[in-house]
Amino acid sequence: MKTTRIERMYRVALRLYPPRFRAQYVEAMAQALRDGLGDESIQFRSFLSLVVLDLVISLAKEYGAMIRESLSRPLLVLNALVLAGIATGVALALYVIPLNMLRSGLNDPQNQMAGDLARLLAKKGMIPIASSAPEERIDMAQSLAPFVIVYDDQGHPIASQAVLNGTIPSLPAGVFDYVRQHGEERVSWQPVRGRENGVRIAAIVRRVDGAQPGFVLAGRNMREVEARIGNVQTLAGLTWLGMLGLIALGTLGVAFFTQPPHADLASHPTA
Amino acid sequence: MVADKTRPSPLTPVVLAILLSLGAEEKHGYAIMKDAQTPAGGSVRMGPGTLYGSLDRMIRDGLVKESGSSDDERRRYYRLTSVGRHVLAAELERLDAAMSAARSMGLIGHGSRS
Repeated sequence: MKTTRIERMYRVALRLYPPRFRAQYVEAMAQALRDGLGDESIQFRSFLSLVVLDLVISLAKEYGAMIRESLSRPLLVLNALVLAGIATGVALALYVIPLNMLRSGLNDPQNQMAGDLARLLAKKGMIPIASSAPEERIDMAQSLAPFVIVYDDQGHPIASQAVLNGTIPSLPAGVFDYVRQHGEERVSWQPVRGRENGVRIAAIVRRVDGAQPGFVLAGRNMREVEARIGNVQTLAGLTWLGMLGLIALGTLGVAFFTQPPHADLASHPTA
Repeated sequence: MVADKTRPSPLTPVVLAILLSLGAEEKHGYAIMKDAQTPAGGSVRMGPGTLYGSLDRMIRDGLVKESGSSDDERRRYYRLTSVGRHVLAAELERLDAAMSAARSMGLIGHGSRS
């Protein structure tokens, strides 16, 4: 290969260096290559392989140095941090807003059912309802259909449209205490605790007033909505990482094209 | 971080080789590269990218300065500054002390050159 051709290729490769470095040293580096290619005391191939390897290593070093110098430019760092903060806020909003909409929308049928049934039981009493329990009960682990459970004033189940593992699950006593005082409670209820992928129920518990007081729980399996929330979380996370990546690339781009002249750079330890 | 010129940390082989090469007289890039490859220069193989990258940082640290260029301005010449000379001397003393210690511990022969 002719030396002029090698030099032409080397000059093309030198364009990869950061602009400031290129502007200062490209001619001197090309001259060093010419000197080496014309030096008969050294092996041509050995010198060429040294130059190629050196090109790769020194490119990485110069870009590393450029990044370190960029980090010492407060305005650039501040700009990147502000943009990263905005990106984090946007990603959080992308997660929190759909999360709230999905979670609150999940309660809509239960809200209506619990309210209607609590009013009906307050008017007609608990016993007739308790005796009219359906024969076919919903399996709350499998079905996504909303269901109701009626509890007496002590929190014992009287009637239920749904079962879990063949039984009517009990609510924690604290929930009944809260509902006695406040009239209503909305909870994400996990009837069987400690199990991985256990059933989680979006439940609304209402107080039944009247001659025979008690409680009505209207619930619904959260499985599908939780899967959607998981998707939203993944998308928001990917969006966040993507935005941070773009900010990092943009900051490096700005650092690349706006490198301060040599004299303006802070002193660095020799390496 | 600013390097403490009076108490320098151990130098990298490339920086030491460049300082050694420029110790006697000013030189241009390729001459420094050739010097560095010799046993007396540290047997360091470096290409133009490593050489000028290191020179760039050494100029910034005040160890080396550009002293001129050839008529066609393609060759640039460099020489040591007084700080660079001081750092080189300090590094050589440090290496000499290490060699003496190694000799006294019998790690190298007394006939070995330091």
